[in-house]
Amino acid sequence: MESAAVAAQDLSSRKPTLILEKIRESLERLNEKIEVMIELTKHDRRDIEQPIADAPLDVMTLLSMPDHLRKTAMTACRLGRATADEIAQQTHRARAVESSYLNQLVIMGHMKKERKGRKAYFYVDRESQG
Amino acid sequence: MGRLIAVHSYKGGTGKTLLSINLAATFAKRGKKVCLFDLDFRAPSLATILKVEKPEYWMNDYLNGTCDIEKVLLDFSDRIKSKDTLYVAPANPATEAIRDMSAKDRKWEMKALGRLLALRNSLLTGNGFDYLIFDTSPGLQYSSINAIVSADLVIVATTFDRSDVDGTRRMLRELYDLFEKKTEVVLNKVLDVSSKSSKDEVQTKIKDVYQVPLLGMIPCFCDILKAEGNTIFAEDKPDHPFTKILSEMAREIDQM
Repeated sequence: MESAAVAAQDLSSRKPTLILEKIRESLERLNEKIEVMIELTKHDRRDIEQPIADAPLDVMTLLSMPDHLRKTAMTACRLGRATADEIAQQTHRARAVESSYLNQLVIMGHMKKERKGRKAYFYVDRESQG
Repeated sequence: MGRLIAVHSYKGGTGKTLLSINLAATFAKRGKKVCLFDLDFRAPSLATILKVEKPEYWMNDYLNGTCDIEKVLLDFSDRIKSKDTLYVAPANPATEAIRDMSAKDRKWEMKALGRLLALRNSLLTGNGFDYLIFDTSPGLQYSSINAIVSADLVIVATTFDRSDVDGTRRMLRELYDLFEKKTEVVLNKVLDVSSKSSKDEVQTKIKDVYQVPLLGMIPCFCDILKAEGNTIFAEDKPDHPFTKILSEMAREIDQM
């Protein structure tokens, strides 16, 4: 009886935290979307709305990229699979900046993105292409 | 943690292979564990120079994804009278293999880049190698740019030939700079470096022209031509000035 009361109390105290977590997750996703939109407008790439399928991230593609994206793409190549945070630590740029560049690379079809819980991992999908 | 070094140049015949083999041997003689890779798939030379007899797997196979890198590595430590120090990954010199490698598409090149980058884990971390040295094709070849992108340090072999100087300068600005690679220049086939003043002059000139550090200068040695590619100077001629220059370069790279 007593333990049931404790459990109920525990649940009721955890509930607001869970709701807050959900709100935070949604906000983060929204934020990422806004970052991508801002980035695309900045570089006048409003035309790209749908991800381009299978655009290999080879060295010639790296060479022809704008400098800011090349830095992110090169770091991602080296790390293999990384979060925007891990890329930002290497490039010494803000996480939000890397996040928008990474999302742009995903939109361009050069990288893939995968969510694991609250974290988003970015990687170059070498094996599935061709 | 070990390092990846790519030896590259704008033009052919600047001494990349000579530099790669002797640098690898020099590092190995200094007690480092080294692997030398032939990434010049258009004109492979390590197999011939090191007299490799039909191995089961070539570097081509590793990049094609048909075998692990361990299957490709040949132990050449005996050649420099040591143990577990010098390994070689030769490229297949057969015409058919050259044709096959030159017909690869962008997706293959992207995977090849992934496999070169993976050597960091498999050999540097996993097998305790200190240096992986990539001998590349001259110019803006896919395989060479893959090697440059994977490397920690790029050594550019160059001469005083005008078209080479011009091309090298452009390549440094428009290729290496874009990838933010640490780059050092080796000036090969230098005439008249006997006096201290002319050495300083050349050094200043190089820094002026290329705006990257000069790792070393190699005079024009007829002995090297006479050896017809049969000699690893760093091993066979320990007292030759060329061997001493290479030792100095290896020491400098070690300290970087």
